[in-house]
Amino acid sequence: MNQNLFSLAWRETVRSAYWGKSLATNIALGILALYFSVNFLILGLYVPKILNESFPNADLVSKFNSIVLAYFAIDLIIRQLMQKLPTVSFKPLLLQNIRRRTIANYLLTRSVLNFFNVLPFFLLVPVAINLVSETHTGTATAVWFLSLLILIFSNHLLAIYLKWRFNEAEYGFIILLVALAGLFAINHFGIIDFSGGMGKLLDLILLYPAISIALLLLPVLLYFLNVRFLLSRMFINMLSAKQKEEKIRDYSWLDRLGENGRFIALELKLIWRNKRPRSLAMLSVLFLSYGLLIYRPQHGQQEIPDFLFILGGILLVGMFSVSYGQFFPAWHSNYFSMLMCQRLTMKQFLRSFYMLVTVISVSCYFLTLPYALLYPKIIYTHLAMLLYNLGVNIPIMFWSGMYSKKRLDLSQSSAMNYQGVSATQWLGALPLMLGPISLFYLFKLAFGTIGGYAALGTLGLIGILFHSLIIDFFSKQYRKQKHQLIRNYKNS
Amino acid sequence: MLQIQNLIKAYNKEIVLNIPELTIEKGEIFGLVGNNGAGKTTLFNIVLDLITASKGQVISKGIIVRESEDWKDFTGSFIDETFLIGYLTAEEYFGFIAGLRRMSKTETSIFLETYTDFFNGEILGKKKFIRDFSKGNQKKVGIVAALMGKPEIVVLDEPFANLDPSSQYKLRKLIKNFAVQNGTTFLISDHTLENIADVSTRLIILEKGKIVRDVPKTETTLQDVEAFFKPVVEAEMF
Repeated sequence: MNQNLFSLAWRETVRSAYWGKSLATNIALGILALYFSVNFLILGLYVPKILNESFPNADLVSKFNSIVLAYFAIDLIIRQLMQKLPTVSFKPLLLQNIRRRTIANYLLTRSVLNFFNVLPFFLLVPVAINLVSETHTGTATAVWFLSLLILIFSNHLLAIYLKWRFNEAEYGFIILLVALAGLFAINHFGIIDFSGGMGKLLDLILLYPAISIALLLLPVLLYFLNVRFLLSRMFINMLSAKQKEEKIRDYSWLDRLGENGRFIALELKLIWRNKRPRSLAMLSVLFLSYGLLIYRPQHGQQEIPDFLFILGGILLVGMFSVSYGQFFPAWHSNYFSMLMCQRLTMKQFLRSFYMLVTVISVSCYFLTLPYALLYPKIIYTHLAMLLYNLGVNIPIMFWSGMYSKKRLDLSQSSAMNYQGVSATQWLGALPLMLGPISLFYLFKLAFGTIGGYAALGTLGLIGILFHSLIIDFFSKQYRKQKHQLIRNYKNS
Repeated sequence: MLQIQNLIKAYNKEIVLNIPELTIEKGEIFGLVGNNGAGKTTLFNIVLDLITASKGQVISKGIIVRESEDWKDFTGSFIDETFLIGYLTAEEYFGFIAGLRRMSKTETSIFLETYTDFFNGEILGKKKFIRDFSKGNQKKVGIVAALMGKPEIVVLDEPFANLDPSSQYKLRKLIKNFAVQNGTTFLISDHTLENIADVSTRLIILEKGKIVRDVPKTETTLQDVEAFFKPVVEAEMF
C-alpha cells in the first residue's frame, strides 16, 4: 500500500503543473543547496579550530554540545519559513479503501526526505570525526552521532507539527518567535541554563551511551502528536477554507482617485487578502531592518564598499517593488481573461501599478532615512536608488512582465515558493540587482563616487519624467502579447 | 449584429473549429449545443478575442474583434469561474465591473435590486469572498456581472451548469426578459438540451468544429435536438 502511495507521490511531483519548475529555477535551487552544503562542510571542518581559539583549555566537545540547542532553535525558525509541508493531495485517497492512519503515516514518512534533514550531516560528520572521536571511543562517538540524529528528526517532526498548526492560525509563527526569544533571554541572563543542560545531557551520553535510548521517546511522542492531529483534520471540510466571516475593509475612499483608484484598490485587496502577496509585503517590511546588517563597518575596514550602499538602496527602498513587480502582471493571472474582455485600457492597468509602487517606494525611502544616523550619505544614496528604481527598474519589470509565463497561485506563502517562477524571473532579477551596481562603477570611473550616485539618480529621473511615454509604449506591447499571456496562464 | 467569416481554428494542424459563414441577428438568443470537444468554448473565446483564429474573422457590430477593442463597450461575457476575482466580495466585484462599465453607484444598486430573486439571498450582504462561494453562487455572480452596463451582446458559456433547479428556471426567464427588454443578442451554450431549447430563439448543433444543424426555434425543436444526440445503438436494440 505504501509503495502505491509513494509511486503516486512521485507522479504527483513529476507531473504537477506547480512543480513543473523551469530549468532555471532548478539550477538556482541546486546552486543554493550546494552553497549551503559546502558552507556547512567547511564550518564542520573548522569547528575544532574555532572552538580552540574561542575557548582555549576547555573541553571542546562539551562546548560544542552546549551550543547544539541554539542550533536547533534557529533550525526550527528556518524550517518554519522554508520547509514545505508534505501536502500530498489526499482528497481523492479518502474515498478509496485506505485506512486514514496509513495516509497519515505515509504523509509523515514522506516528509522526512527533506533537504533540511540532510544539511546538518555536512556539519556533524566532520565534527564527529575530527573532534569527538579524538577524545572518545568509537562506540561513544557513534551513539553521540545517533543521538543528534534523533534530535534532528524530532526537530523535524516538531517543525511540521507547528507548521500545520500555524497553517490554521497565522499569528502562531509570531508567538513561536516571541516564545523562543523569551527562552533565549532566560538562557542568556542565566536564569535557567537550557543550552548548558542540553550540553550536559550530550556529555552524559558520551560517558554512558545507554542513556540515549531515553531520547527515542521524543520523536515517538512527536510522531504520535502529528498522527493524531492529521487524523482529526483528514476531512474534506477541514481542507477547504474556514467558513468564517471575513473582516472586510472598506477601500471605497480610493474611488476618489478615479479610474486609477479603482485599480489601486484592487491591488491593495489583492495584497491584503491573499497569502502569497501578503507574506511578500510582510517580508518587505522585515527587510527594512536589513540595513542593520549591511550598514555596519566590517571588521578591519573603516568604510563600507559602495556596492553595499547600492544593494542596500535596492533592497531597503525597492524590496517591495522589485519582488512584487517581478511577477507583474501574473498577480492578476487568475482572472486575466476577464480583464481582457473589459473596457479597461492597458494603460490604466499599468499606471495604477506604477502609482502603487511609487507610493510604497517613497514611503520606504522615508522609513529608511534613520539609517542616515549611521552613514549620512544614505540620504542621497537611497534617494538615487529610489529614483533609479522608479525610473529604470519598473520599466524593466514591465518589459519582463510581457513574457510572464506562469499563473500564480495566490493562496500559498511566498517563502521558498517557486510556483509560477520561470526563467523570466531569474533573468529579470539580474539586471534589477546587478544593473545599478555595474552602472555605478562605470559612472564612478567617469564622475567620481558622488557623481556615480548622481548619474544613477539622473537616469532614474529621466525615466520618471518620461513615465507616461513608457507606459504608453508598454500598453501597446501588452496588447500585442495579450493572447500569448492568456495562453501561458491557461497552460500552467 | 455578429458575423463570422471563414473561421478556422487549428491546433497542430488538427482543425477544431471550422465555420465558413454564420450571421447572428440583433435580439437573437443564439443557443449552441454540442458534445465535449465540439468547439463551443473555442468559438466563444474567439468571439471575445481571447484566442486567435487560425483563419477568418469575427465581426461584431461592424468591428473586427481582432483589430479593434471597441467591441468591449457593448459586450458582456462570462465563460468560467476564471472570470471572477476570488478575493473580492460579491458587492466589491459588482462595483469593480460597474466602474469599468461606467455605471454610477445608484445605477448599480438599482440594477442589482432587479436580481434579488435570482440571488435568493445568498449573494449580497454576505461577508464572504467569492472564492468561498459555492459553484452555483459563483456562477450567478458571473452571469449578473455579464449583464451590467446594458450590453448589446452577451456571451455565456454553460450558464445553467451548477445551478440548482429553481435557479435554472429563473435564469431562463431572466435571459428571455433581458433580451426582449433591451434587444440584447445572447450567445449561450449548454449541455442541458431542455434549458437551451427553451431559452434560445435559434439553435445550432456543433460537432467536431462544424455546424451540423441550424434551426430556428419551433414546437419540435427539443425533440429534434434530443433525437440528434441519442445514441444510435439504442435504436438498433429494439
